[in-house]
Amino acid sequence: MANAIITARGVGLDLGGVPVLRGVDLAVDSGEIVAVMGENGVGKSTLLRCLAGMHPLPRGEIDVFGGPPADRLDFWQRVVRVGDEPAWYPGLSVREHLELMRAVQKDARLTVEETLDTFELGARAGLSPLSLSTGQRQRLSLAMALLRPSRLLLLDEPERGLDAGFRKRLAVILRGYAAEGGTVVMATHDARLAEIMGARVITLRVAS
Amino acid sequence: MIPAAARAHPALAYLRAHRGRPATWSDRYTTMFGLVVAAAVLGRPVVEAIAGLARHADPTRLGAGLALVTAAYAGLLILARTFGPVVLPAADASWLVTSPLPRRAVLGRTASLLLSAAILAGAVLGLAALSVFGAPDRLGVRLAAALVLGVAAGVGGMATAVLAQRSPAWDTGLQVVIAGVLSAAVLAAVLGAGPGRRILAAVSEAPASLGAAVAGVASVVAAFLLRWAWAALDRIPAHRILASSTRAARVTSAAGALDPSMLTWIMEDAHWRGRALRSRPWPRLVARLGRAPALAWQEWLRVGRRPGRLMALLGGAALPAVCANATGGETGLPFGMLLCGALTAAAMCTGGVRRDGGDPALARMLAVDGRAVMAARAVLPALLAASWSVLALVGIGAVGALPADGWWLLGPAPAPALAAGALRMARRPPVDHAMPVIDTPGGAVPTGPLFWALTGVDLALLGSLPALAVLVTRPTDVVPYVVAQAVAGAGVLGAYVLVAGRAAR
Repeated sequence: MANAIITARGVGLDLGGVPVLRGVDLAVDSGEIVAVMGENGVGKSTLLRCLAGMHPLPRGEIDVFGGPPADRLDFWQRVVRVGDEPAWYPGLSVREHLELMRAVQKDARLTVEETLDTFELGARAGLSPLSLSTGQRQRLSLAMALLRPSRLLLLDEPERGLDAGFRKRLAVILRGYAAEGGTVVMATHDARLAEIMGARVITLRVAS
Repeated sequence: MIPAAARAHPALAYLRAHRGRPATWSDRYTTMFGLVVAAAVLGRPVVEAIAGLARHADPTRLGAGLALVTAAYAGLLILARTFGPVVLPAADASWLVTSPLPRRAVLGRTASLLLSAAILAGAVLGLAALSVFGAPDRLGVRLAAALVLGVAAGVGGMATAVLAQRSPAWDTGLQVVIAGVLSAAVLAAVLGAGPGRRILAAVSEAPASLGAAVAGVASVVAAFLLRWAWAALDRIPAHRILASSTRAARVTSAAGALDPSMLTWIMEDAHWRGRALRSRPWPRLVARLGRAPALAWQEWLRVGRRPGRLMALLGGAALPAVCANATGGETGLPFGMLLCGALTAAAMCTGGVRRDGGDPALARMLAVDGRAVMAARAVLPALLAASWSVLALVGIGAVGALPADGWWLLGPAPAPALAAGALRMARRPPVDHAMPVIDTPGGAVPTGPLFWALTGVDLALLGSLPALAVLVTRPTDVVPYVVAQAVAGAGVLGAYVLVAGRAAR
């Protein structure tokens, strides 16, 4: 496991006295794509939050980049998490959200134009994100995540709201990210997406 | 057997039958008792206040007073236009407006509420105007004329707002009226401060019969507008009522949950949704300054995108001077307005901080040092607060209400503390309704909303203590206080950036 980016052993978590995760083991290597699957409420999103250091006291042991994950600046400079729709900055257009990310992240992976093309947002670049459809807003979230440099992507149901055509494109984009050495861990309900991405599938069972 | 009244107005009958329980004798007794108690408590002070109006107007306060009354009327029109004014509860809006029921019958209850509100607001404005102009003779006639004129203005304005909801042409007309009324307020303030004071004095000395004639003409115009508005109720497009009702319902639910931060969020989203924005690349200079200034640049961009709001803010800088003029050179109230206005100016450009405070997902994705971002985001609020304060102090100085020359320096010195207060306000969490309610002799005080309201203001006041000390002690030499204020302001902002920036992503 010399290339391990994530190592989790016996991870468990109770929320309000109800067990959500119990005894989860996970090891993810650099450049790997892992799809966490399972029925609703099985703890996929919770596991991703644990990996992001956003649940303070899970049981077991989690190492991300050789140490426990923490909601700190140095962690987020290497890790990007895309979960529920973020609160967009008021008064900024789609293009300006991308411009902002590029202005803040000096070694951006893509130019703004490339990002707009890749995520098919060019026709809506001048609108506020609030004027976009659910799927387009999800594309913008993913575009911001993939424009900036990172080593680990934690994606919570990235297929949410996306049409079938764009899901295939997303698979290509994420395969490209992994080919550059990036690691992807995603919670998903779309087995087809996981398959065309070439992801290693891990299925969670209900904790009891 | 269906009663005749229900046959004539089936919608009204339906609404009456389904809107809560009918009023009982106990409800009526409580209402009457409340009215009698209110009359007993307020009757004597109101009669004394009205008797006190039998005087000549003070020419030095005439312009400022008239400007405040006119600005209040403009505020009433803006409020009516912003919220509808014809709105319904969410359920009625969804089901009844799109039904084949006669729209006027569905909207009748709202219309009567609007009419009552317009009459009440108009009467208050009329009395306020009379208190400015005074009544040198024939108090009864002047009082009646002022009340009729005020009510006519209130009802006429509300009727115009209803007509504006129906047709874009009337809406344009209403906007022209609002601009005209605001211009009249500015004109009154200018005239009252200069040689035009004689014109206003001449108006205040006009014969009571002329006032009565003007009130008569105004009431005829208002009656026509009311008639047209009543006819227009049947033809207001359903989508306009639905849009207004949805907006009002969101605002009401935010107010009902006592969570005013939601209001700002709703208003911001409503403004930007559906707008095409001319995207601009981030200036290279800003990007070269570092990650934090690049992130903070969005606030500058947003402020520049709302020039009308900025102009209104700068125009508002005249209010402390107008107030100083109206109160005869007293400094307490104008300086209170100065602090509130400067804090408002600072809080106007903290939208990004508010978003990151409510949902840090984007801040995590951007991954910039929290302290550096907080410091960079404090620059614009401090700059706006300082500019607003200097403008306001120049105005107060122009009307001769500044006690000494160096007082204007007290404008920019507290700006960093006000910026820290505005940032703290933007990052405060929603109201905690689980906090205890304290019983006091004046009634129960819920501490949750109280603490929420004071969060941010506390820091602004703490950092402005030297300036407040000047107001209380009124020293001859303010320079030491200005130096102390500059140090206190910078210290409070620095400490806040260090502490709060550590918690921010």
